[in-house]
Amino acid sequence: MSLIHIKDLTKHFKILNRREGLSGAFRDLFSGNYRTVEAVAGVSFDIEAGEIVGYIGPNGAGKSTTIKMMTGILKPTGGMLQVNGLMPYDNRIRQAQIMGVVFGQRTQLWWDLPVIESFKILKEIYKVDQKMFDRHMDMFNELVGLKALYSQQVRTLSLGQRMLCDISASFLHNPQVVFLDEPTIGLDISIKAKIRSVIKELNREHNTTIILTTHDLGDVEALCQRIIIIDKGKILYDGDIKRVNALFGAYRTLKLQIDDFTAATLQTLTGKLTEKFGAEHGISIAETEELWTDVTIDQARTPLSDVLNFVMSNFGVDDVRIVEISMENVVRKVYDGALK
Amino acid sequence: MHSLKDYLRLYFIIETQYIKARMQYRADFIISSIGMFFSSLATLGIFWVILGSIPDLAGWSFMQLVFIYGFYMIAISPMQILFDHIWQIRFHVQQGTFLKYYFRPLNMMFYYMSEMFDIKGLTQLAAGIVILIYASIRLDLDWTLPRVALLLLTLFSASLVQISITVLAGCAAFWVLDAYPVLGLAWKLREFAPYPMNIFDGAFRFTFTFIIPLGFVAFYPSQLFLQPEDVSSLVYFSPLVGVGLFALTYWVWTKGVNSYTGTGS
Repeated sequence: MSLIHIKDLTKHFKILNRREGLSGAFRDLFSGNYRTVEAVAGVSFDIEAGEIVGYIGPNGAGKSTTIKMMTGILKPTGGMLQVNGLMPYDNRIRQAQIMGVVFGQRTQLWWDLPVIESFKILKEIYKVDQKMFDRHMDMFNELVGLKALYSQQVRTLSLGQRMLCDISASFLHNPQVVFLDEPTIGLDISIKAKIRSVIKELNREHNTTIILTTHDLGDVEALCQRIIIIDKGKILYDGDIKRVNALFGAYRTLKLQIDDFTAATLQTLTGKLTEKFGAEHGISIAETEELWTDVTIDQARTPLSDVLNFVMSNFGVDDVRIVEISMENVVRKVYDGALK
Repeated sequence: MHSLKDYLRLYFIIETQYIKARMQYRADFIISSIGMFFSSLATLGIFWVILGSIPDLAGWSFMQLVFIYGFYMIAISPMQILFDHIWQIRFHVQQGTFLKYYFRPLNMMFYYMSEMFDIKGLTQLAAGIVILIYASIRLDLDWTLPRVALLLLTLFSASLVQISITVLAGCAAFWVLDAYPVLGLAWKLREFAPYPMNIFDGAFRFTFTFIIPLGFVAFYPSQLFLQPEDVSSLVYFSPLVGVGLFALTYWVWTKGVNSYTGTGS
């Protein structure tokens, strides 16, 4: 039996069809005009103990609705959902004992209290015995340097420190599964790296299952062996990260600001690139925002540096940026059959 | 699973820490405590000036009114001290921070309310006790042991009435965008509670007895002590009203919690 078992899970929301304007608002008061939105439209997967699974997808894909069902906040509309053999919504208190949750930037520690007091209260809530408490606190201290923060009030911590405390706290009672929702959002690169290594270490320590939702593909690459991509309430991909990794890793987008940009520039650029690199160059060009031209390059076919050199020597370029492929683009590529 | 003893212990641990943290803002703590004490006395002062000039109000002597007022101040204090966090519920619900209360293996109302402990309410409680004792000495009330027990029981029930009315109003946040007007109304209405219900005309009296039962916060239960030989049978229900109303409140709270879906993200 897997730790998390989900079969044909659905969640529908009834949403009022709102009318415009003030008079519309008044008529809405007595309206029975609802439409049903399928936030999760038949999702199935199994997660085994000890896995780190990246659960990703664009905004509004149904990610957080699934997480809310797994953590017992929402009641599924249909299908099967079991965590450790029980339905979370019907057994919220029992399930909370075996789960840990970190939700984005909202801390669950006691805002006004020193860090150590939050951990002591959690010790009481989860009935963690003294031996385990001491052992875990030592471990957190080794990983995060928690001791230095003990006497600080939670409200005075930096975002990164607070996230490290929140993540540590979610592991204190040795849960079987930990949900991490956007654990690195808004943090700088060095703290991100730190958080990733801490998560990895905590997973290894007790073979804790981790479900990670994130917009940062770096998190996924660094942590997950398996990835589930969801969009429009349905699963697009569920499997080994290696195949998807090729997508993240291979594609880079070169953002260019070209001198004297006109509508013709795009065509000239496309023509010259084809001339230089051949028809199978794996380069796509689009104007995304004013004055910026996006050149997305499949590095497996054409090296980015070659394209950059070529463009720089043939066009007057004011500004250049190199960006990694975004979540939305990965999802689009999966749709386009990149994984088939 | 937690027993009642676990919850009491946990509550004690959390509030001790909370009070300790508050004490660090010493000036804030002292000034707000003193402020609360004097504002309680000031309200009584106004009461005193207005009612002191008339011999009686709808058949109630001045000192009897003071007794009811003292009873009222004690009865509204547990709401102030233990359930003060209800005022923040609309922010938590709107901003999605309410989600965190689902993640601990605790009763959600307990966990939510435990995050605030209003120390300055203690001075209001103290003022209420002083006033009640003063009035009962002046009225020459006879405090036998069973009567003291009855007083504690009715105070417990009366405070449940006040807690229920306010928490019920706060629960509106689960269904309406801005529950503040509802909560504000409930809070304003409690100012009617320390008056004898027979000064209000029929519609108001009916409302304050059966719909928003403010009469059970102070006036009806006080009658058990002020004129025990001549009370309507309604008064004997006062201990039940508090328990029943709180059960209803808890049911509505649970409905709200179960229907909450959180914000996006």
